[in-house]
Amino acid sequence: MPIEILLVDDSPGDVRLTQEAFRDANSLIKLHVAADGVEAMAFLRREGPHIHAPRPDLILLDLNLPKMDGREVLAQIKEDDDLKTIPTLILTTSDAEADIVKSYRLQANCYLNKPVRFDAFESLVKSINDFWLTKVKLPPQAPSG
Amino acid sequence: MPNAAEKHLAQMESKYHGLLEAAPDAMVVVNQGGDIVLLNLQAEKQFGYRRDELLGQKVTNIIPKGFAERLIADDLRSAEDALAQQIGTGIELIGRRKDGGEFPIELMLSPLESAEGILVTAAIRDISARKTDEKHLAQMESKYRGLLEAAPDAMVVVNQGGDIVLLNLQAEKQFGYRRDELLGQKVKNIIPVGFAERLIADDLRSAEDALAQQIGTGIELIARRKDGGEFPIEIMLSPLASAEGTLVTAAIRDISVRKAAEANLLQKVNELYRSNEELEQFAYFASHDLQEPLRMVASYTQLLSRRYKGKLDSDADEFIAFAVDGASRMQRLIQDLLAYSRVGSKGMNLLNVSSEDALQQALVNLRGAIEESGALVTHDPLPVVLADEMQLILLFQNLVANAIKYQKPGVPLVHISAARSGGKKWLFAVRDNGLGIDPQYFERIFGLFQRLHKREEFAGTGIGLAICKKIVERHGGRIFVESQPGQGSTFRFSLPASKEKL
Repeated sequence: MPIEILLVDDSPGDVRLTQEAFRDANSLIKLHVAADGVEAMAFLRREGPHIHAPRPDLILLDLNLPKMDGREVLAQIKEDDDLKTIPTLILTTSDAEADIVKSYRLQANCYLNKPVRFDAFESLVKSINDFWLTKVKLPPQAPSG
Repeated sequence: MPNAAEKHLAQMESKYHGLLEAAPDAMVVVNQGGDIVLLNLQAEKQFGYRRDELLGQKVTNIIPKGFAERLIADDLRSAEDALAQQIGTGIELIGRRKDGGEFPIELMLSPLESAEGILVTAAIRDISARKTDEKHLAQMESKYRGLLEAAPDAMVVVNQGGDIVLLNLQAEKQFGYRRDELLGQKVKNIIPVGFAERLIADDLRSAEDALAQQIGTGIELIARRKDGGEFPIEIMLSPLASAEGTLVTAAIRDISVRKAAEANLLQKVNELYRSNEELEQFAYFASHDLQEPLRMVASYTQLLSRRYKGKLDSDADEFIAFAVDGASRMQRLIQDLLAYSRVGSKGMNLLNVSSEDALQQALVNLRGAIEESGALVTHDPLPVVLADEMQLILLFQNLVANAIKYQKPGVPLVHISAARSGGKKWLFAVRDNGLGIDPQYFERIFGLFQRLHKREEFAGTGIGLAICKKIVERHGGRIFVESQPGQGSTFRFSLPASKEKL
C-alpha cells in the first residue's frame, strides 16, 4: 500500500531532489506536489481538479510560497478539524528564529531546515522516512468520500 | 603780661606744634608772604635742611612752582577761597632738596588761623615711589596695548560693568566695527549670551574667583557682528589689574572653520558607519541569496556524479568531478562568508560567560575532527569573561580546528590556557605542536580568504582566522600569533574580564 506524501514546494529543483531522495529511501512512497499554497489547500480539500486526490499520510511544507504562503497553509490545516490530524512537517531553507517560533505556535509537528549540502539532505530525507514513516504510529485513514 | 586769650592761643599753638612734630608727612606752615614760618622733623628730613636753614625761607625754594600761585597775596579772602578749593585735594608738584635734587610730591593745603593772620599748612608727601609705580604701570599698559594690537586673535578688555574699555585691530575686523564704535559699548552687543554671566559685577572678589576658574579654559559662544550676522567663537578670559580695578581680557577666536570641519568630520564618520553597515548587510544578503541556486548546482552535480559515474565516458566523469568540487568549494565559501558577516551584523549579547564551558561546547562541535585526527586537547582552568557566548564558542572552535588541521603526521597536541592581563582583561593562549607559521605571514593569516597552503595540501577557505579576529576585536581585544616554522604555534587573544569579582 503506497504511502501518500504531499510536498508543497515552489522550487522544481528542490521538488525533484526530494523525489530522488525519497525514492532511494522508500520505494513505497508516492509523492504528490503542490507548487503554491492555494493548490495545496485545493488538494487537501479535494476541490476542482483534485477531486479524487488521496488523503496524504504526511505533509512536507515549505514556508515561502507564492499566492498563499506556507504559514497560512499551516494555519488553515491545523484549524481544520479534519485536516489537523495529518502530521505536517515544515521543510524550509529559512533558519530564522522567528520562523521557527511561529511554526510551532501554529502547531507544526516539527520544523526542518533544508541542509545546504546534498548528502546532508539525503540523510535528512532518510531520517524523515525512518522516523515518521517507520517508527511513528500514524492515525488510521478516515474512509474516503 | 599775656591775657587769657593770648594764653589760650599759646596753648593751642603748643598743641599744634606737637601735632606737627608727630605728623608722618613733612609739614610746612607758610605765611601770606610765602615764607616758611614753621616746619617739622619730617620736612627737615625730606628736604635735607636743618630747621633753622628753612625757617624764614621762601617756600618757593623747596617747592619751586605751583605753591605760590595758590597763595593769592593781595586778597586774604581770595586766599581762603583758593585754599577752600584746595582743601582735601592732593596737588602734585615737584619738591627740591637742599642738594638740588628734585622729587615728586603731593601737596595738601589747609588754612591755619594764628595771631599773625591766616597761615597755610602744607602736608607734603614724597610720592617718588608712587610715581615710579605709576610710570611702571604706564609702561606696562603701553606694552600691553602693544601686545593687544599685535595679537592674532581679537582682544577685548571689559570692565566690571560689562563695558568694552579696550580692543585691538583684530576685534575691529572680526566684529565689523570701528574702534570708537565699540569702545564704551556693552560687551553683550558683540557676545549676546554667556560672557556677562562670567562677570559678577556686584562683587569684585567674586569676579576674580569666577575668572580664576576660567583662566585657560576655552569657552564656546556665539558672537554677533555689526551687520547682525552671527558666528561661533572660542573665548579665553584672563584678569587684568588696572588703576580702574580688575578688568577682564578676552581673547576671541573665530572658530567657524573649526566648527565646519568638526561637523564635516562627524558627517563623514556617520557616513562611514552607515556605509559599513550597508556593506555588512550586503555581505550577509548576498551570501544568503547565493546559497539557494548554489544548492541546486551542488546537489545536482552530486546526483549526476552518483548516478552516472562509470556509465558515461571518462571525460564526463572528470568534468562532473570538477563541477562537483567547484560547487562544493563555493558552498563552503558562502557558508564561511555568511558566518563572517553574521559576526558583524548581529548585536552583541555580552554576558558573564564561562570560557571553560564555551571551550567544551566548541570541542563537542569538533568531536568528529578530534576523533579523526586523534588529537589530544587539554586546558588549564579558564576564567569567566564578559562575552557573547555564541561568538566565544565559534572563536575557540576555529582556533582548535586550525590547531588540529595544520599538522604534520603524529598526534596533534593542543593546550588552552589563560592569564590575567592588566586589571580588566584575560589573555588566552591556544598552543599547538603543528606546522608553525613563518613570521612574515603573521599579519596576513588574519586577512579575509588568505591561505598559506595549496588546496591539495589542506582544505579550507582561509576565513577561519578572519572570523576569529573579528570576534576578538568586537570584544575590544587583540589577537596575534607567536610561532616558528616547524615549532608549532601559539595564538593569543585578549577578552574583557567579567564584571564581578570571582
